[in-house]
Amino acid sequence: MIVDARGVSRVFSMPAGPVTAVREVTLQIRDGDHIAVRGPSGCGKSTLLHMLGCVETQTSGTLLFDGQDVSRLSDARRSLLRLRHIGFVFQRFFLLPMLTARENVELPMSEAGLPRAARQQRVRELLEYVGLAARADHRPSQLSGGEMQRVAIARALANGPRLLLADEPTGELDETTGAQIAALLDRVNQSGTALVIVTHDPALANRASRVLTMRDGQIESEQVA
Amino acid sequence: MRLGVIAWLMAILLPWPPATASAQDATPPDVLVSRHLAEAEDLRVGSVIRLALDATGTKAREFRVAGIYEPTPDPSRLGQVPRSVRLHLPDLLDMTRPLDVPAGAEYVASVNVALVDPADAEQFARDVNARLPGVLAQPSGEAAGSAGPFRVLERFHLAIAVVTIVAATVFLLALTIMLVDERRETVGVLRLIGLPVRRILVQILLEGVLVASVGAAFGLVLALLSEQLINLFFQWRYDTALVFVRITRDVALTCVAIAVPLGASATVVASWALLRRGGLRLARR
Amino acid sequence: MNAIGFAWRSLVRQPARAVLGVLGVAAVGALLFDMLLLSRGLIVSMQDLLDRGGWDIRVSAAELPGSGLRVPNALDAADSISRLPSVQAALVIRSALARIDRASGRPIRASFQGVATRSTHPSGSRLRAPWTILRGRDAAGPDEVVVDERIAAESQLEPGSEITMRATCVTDLEALPATRLKVVGVAEFPFQTTNEHTTGGTLDALKTACGGNVGHDADLILVTSTGDPDGTAGAIRGLLPEVTAATNREVVGRLQQTGFTYFRQISSVLTTVTVSFAVLLITVLLTVSVNQRLGEIAALRALGFSRIRVVKDVLAESALIVGIGGVLSLPLGLLLASGLDRILKGMPGIPVALHFFVFERQALYVHAALLTATAIIAALYPMRIVSKLPIAATLRNEVIG
Ligand SMILES: Nc1ncnc2c1ncn2[C@@H]1O[C@H](COP(=O)(O)OP(=O)(O)OP(=O)(O)O)[C@@H](O)[C@H]1O
Ligand SMILES: [Mg+2]
Repeated sequence: MIVDARGVSRVFSMPAGPVTAVREVTLQIRDGDHIAVRGPSGCGKSTLLHMLGCVETQTSGTLLFDGQDVSRLSDARRSLLRLRHIGFVFQRFFLLPMLTARENVELPMSEAGLPRAARQQRVRELLEYVGLAARADHRPSQLSGGEMQRVAIARALANGPRLLLADEPTGELDETTGAQIAALLDRVNQSGTALVIVTHDPALANRASRVLTMRDGQIESEQVA
Repeated sequence: MRLGVIAWLMAILLPWPPATASAQDATPPDVLVSRHLAEAEDLRVGSVIRLALDATGTKAREFRVAGIYEPTPDPSRLGQVPRSVRLHLPDLLDMTRPLDVPAGAEYVASVNVALVDPADAEQFARDVNARLPGVLAQPSGEAAGSAGPFRVLERFHLAIAVVTIVAATVFLLALTIMLVDERRETVGVLRLIGLPVRRILVQILLEGVLVASVGAAFGLVLALLSEQLINLFFQWRYDTALVFVRITRDVALTCVAIAVPLGASATVVASWALLRRGGLRLARR
Repeated sequence: MNAIGFAWRSLVRQPARAVLGVLGVAAVGALLFDMLLLSRGLIVSMQDLLDRGGWDIRVSAAELPGSGLRVPNALDAADSISRLPSVQAALVIRSALARIDRASGRPIRASFQGVATRSTHPSGSRLRAPWTILRGRDAAGPDEVVVDERIAAESQLEPGSEITMRATCVTDLEALPATRLKVVGVAEFPFQTTNEHTTGGTLDALKTACGGNVGHDADLILVTSTGDPDGTAGAIRGLLPEVTAATNREVVGRLQQTGFTYFRQISSVLTTVTVSFAVLLITVLLTVSVNQRLGEIAALRALGFSRIRVVKDVLAESALIVGIGGVLSLPLGLLLASGLDRILKGMPGIPVALHFFVFERQALYVHAALLTATAIIAALYPMRIVSKLPIAATLRNEVIG
């Protein structure tokens, strides 16, 4: 079991009154899971994903990551946990524009203290894995959207995470490119990494083995393929 | 010839014993003492003091303090408290005349001459030099040789001001470039909507002028506030009447005249550099 | 990639901002460096000037120069001073107003320094006059003088030329006698001011120039001790209670308290203003830059970068801007200092060899320390922004915004 969320809620206190983004969600993620989260805009998908990824803390309920209560961890320990075990893929890629594809992928590894030789070897493998070995020295501005997202996926996989979280990974891409990214994510999952994808895209959602549908901060239904 | 020859004597003040009896009714000659001396020795107008040539009391004479004056502040003597006494020249000569020199044959260090027409100075000096072999006459501009301390300080401050303005300009440009950059998306959208570059530039220029004016006004207020503080501090520190900072109307106008166009043009230069890149590229980061 | 490498990449990403930021720091840093050189420049320069002559103690009639008071019976005083066991030599300096006739043009007004050495110490006679010979040799005979460069240039004199001089040594109005004197050398007088002319020679030569009448007093007696200036000055004061004897250290100390403190004050005011200016501007520069990258920073945090790491990146960026600018500011500052020094030396009464801006290693350290403080303080606010950055909310805002 990677994540064990029991009755987690997230309430934002706003001037106009509290907003409950996620309401008592219980969810377990096991190694190799392939989960898609769907639901109308504002139903709390991103908030849930952020809690699963330990960048947002629940206001109630417990969330265990690998058996540890995340809310008890210090910020530094949580950063380390993300660095080692969680990968993030964003709708807007968030690659660092001043670094090349190679350097972007290398960044989390050097933060994790991997030796230089090992880093270079792994960067090469990862870029080959996402099909961008030839573009290693290109900057993000020289890449297409699909290519940028592939670099972002390679970066998310840098330290061999057990869980990969993606928020609308195809949101900024056209259908064909989106399909390519979806195929890539499938491969990632097949090699053992658990995957949680938030998406509006039915084609992407349908590839998952578990599809969660959210409404008003709650998981309304779960379909298992 | 101006007899405003003011000689001063580094006076050695001997404590005056309390007046026993006014045996000599003849009132002592008048002197002026500097405010600093008056404060240090607790002298008032009317006080009678005794001045001598040295500590042993050579040629000691009594004088009456007729007034207390604020010495003309001299920036190069800052920190030296001017404890000085001004005597009438004949009194000074009486005191300092060597025994073997008859009255009327004393010498003075210099005599300042005011001419009816200052343009004659050169000619006048030549005449004096030709007729009086022991005397050297020099036009006063030349006698000063180099600029007075105030002039020099003025130049020094100007040089520092120039460096400051250069530094400020560089920073200002850096800031405007970044601020404009931050709004590249807005500008990009305006361009896409079809607003001509000139319209956008004028818009930005107006904004730049506004910001620069507010900034200049703020700077002036800050300067006026600090003016008082700096003057008070230094006048206290050096016990002088010297005014260290004075923001005149001219200075204020110069500052505004430099700051506002500088700020506005920095904005325009920065925006122009941005606009050249065209609308479409701006909208996409 | 470490924080510095990362900061470097962030910096070159916006080259215009980086270049302008660095240039701004260089200009401000140059001014700051100059103010540090100015704060102690006069003192250091004066110390150097005093020490250069090799004389330890200055004996005069009054504390302040220019009082017009003179040391009475100076030769006798110098004799008795030189007999003190801790004294190597005593040098009497008597100066007089002189006027040097020129073939064409107005006569030159100069001061004539007549000197006489008194010594009972074996090495005492080797001591030099208070000037440095540039060409020719030092004046020795009663009809020999050395002149400064200005007189040499203005009257076209070289060692071997003759001059006609009239000097007044005592206070009378009689017409000055003209004397022919031989120029044997051109010398530099370290305490001469920019607009002065100076000639020097033996006291006998001064006597010649003044028509035999010099009186018995002197402006100054310079004394070299055998190694204990303070003790020797005390001994002189004991010997001659009516004079003041000050060691070089005391003279400098007095200057430190009184003379030109204005420059120390203006230097501290400007140092404060410059540093605050630099802090303010670098803060704004970094803040704007950080605000433009909040999404990226949040993404890095989500990927596991620690809070300390992203804070370090901001600090490193500040350090790079200030560091590169600071290095550039040194040559720029030296250049500016020489210009400002030239301006200030236009002040009347400043010895030619005195400098307002003097390089000292200590100034370099203070400069580095101030710039380091600038880099840190300027980064505080942007560092706070990234350290308090809410990751999830920022990621969300960046997608929506
Ligand atoms: N940081 C925040 N502060 C205040 N309210 C927030 C915050 N984050 C989320 N919310 C609120 O929580 C609710 C859920 O937001 P969330 O972003 O999780 O929705 P979503 O399902 O991801 O929507 P979308 O499909 O549009 O991305 C919304 O009503 C939103 O306004
Ligand atoms: Mg969302």
